Amino acid sequence: MTNINGKAYAMNAVTPMKTWKTPILLAVFFLIGVFKSAQKGLVDLSFIHFARWVVVQNNQFPRLAPEQPEEQLKYDYLLFFSNFNGTWNEYIDAFSAVLSSGLNLIWRWSEKFPGSVPVTAFKRYISLVQFDTDYYYTAYPYATTSDVKAAIRVDDALQEFANRAAGLTPEEFQQSYLQLLVKVQADIGALGPAPMGT
Amino acid sequence: MANQNGNMYGLTILSPIIDDPKSKVSHDSALRLYLQNMPRHAYSPFTKVSGTHFCRLVVMDDVVFVGSPAAEEHLKSKYLVFNSNLYGGLDAYLAEMARKIPDVVDDIWSHCVGYPGVADPSAFAAYMKKCQIETTFFFADVNDKTVEQTLRALQMKVEFTAFIERNQGASPAGLLREFAAFWERVRELPLPPAGVKDLAKSHAAIA
Repeated sequence: MTNINGKAYAMNAVTPMKTWKTPILLAVFFLIGVFKSAQKGLVDLSFIHFARWVVVQNNQFPRLAPEQPEEQLKYDYLLFFSNFNGTWNEYIDAFSAVLSSGLNLIWRWSEKFPGSVPVTAFKRYISLVQFDTDYYYTAYPYATTSDVKAAIRVDDALQEFANRAAGLTPEEFQQSYLQLLVKVQADIGALGPAPMGT
Repeated sequence: MANQNGNMYGLTILSPIIDDPKSKVSHDSALRLYLQNMPRHAYSPFTKVSGTHFCRLVVMDDVVFVGSPAAEEHLKSKYLVFNSNLYGGLDAYLAEMARKIPDVVDDIWSHCVGYPGVADPSAFAAYMKKCQIETTFFFADVNDKTVEQTLRALQMKVEFTAFIERNQGASPAGLLREFAAFWERVRELPLPPAGVKDLAKSHAAIA
């Protein structure tokens, strides 16, 4: 399935919005951008590499030639693209359980959004508005975003340790090495297989 | 600017697909078939565009009708969505696409309205920017590492985990000697290739 590449899942969704609601949503995103604490939930979930929301106003669909028919849309559209780890069901369940108020704040302006709780209605809505990916590339399919963050911490710690270790006696080296292991113990380990299922 | 998060750039392109009733195979079908058969993983053309962390290509057939009382409406064109999460700036990225994978770019975007080709990189960049939609909100969990730095860090994590396992219970002198050899070796290791599905297999090949 092209939505999946190794441990990453590419989600695309499009939802219609009445045009008068668009400025409200833009203000919401502006505030989320300014107040970084509002992004804490996304960071804490730690299974999203990258995600984006794109508001396409009804007159913004690119028209590049006179022979291309002009779009005549009543609604503006909210596009959502995510690169997450795990299965679709796990993702939607976690979103609904952990970020329900944040999601509601973003999607409540879309037509017929049922709310992110209860999760069954939310899943039905996402299934309806999702469209599939034709080609999906990632430079590191075998790594989750937690793997990437752990690897960066290990790499940084190791570089720092190697610089510090030069010139130590064997006993001092061992002591310092054990301190390094304590520091990175939560970040080492195998990368593990990709999840099975949907 | 919402396209940017740290050093990451969230590129969103919507290119209208040519609608030619006279073609034997519609452009959107031909494009889908091309994308279906485009090489993947370590053989993906996007491995050559060095800033690409993640990207996707999607044929968007239409907008969605979510049910009454919402109004039902339809797009008059289909659009190719190109969505890339890249390190660095847009101009350099588009220039690299034109330089490193010109045939692939031509094969894909020649199905789109007004595409000028990559022979003139500035015309190509201008075309892509005409198709660009500003990202409203862009989230990047890690926003300050190049692809190369990320691959190197993942390689280091795997190598160091194996080192720890091999050297449990080593004497202080043995540990010092083994670490010196390990450090010298890992610094010389070639970078794991981008796009490979399994790092362990690429590692075995490198070793």
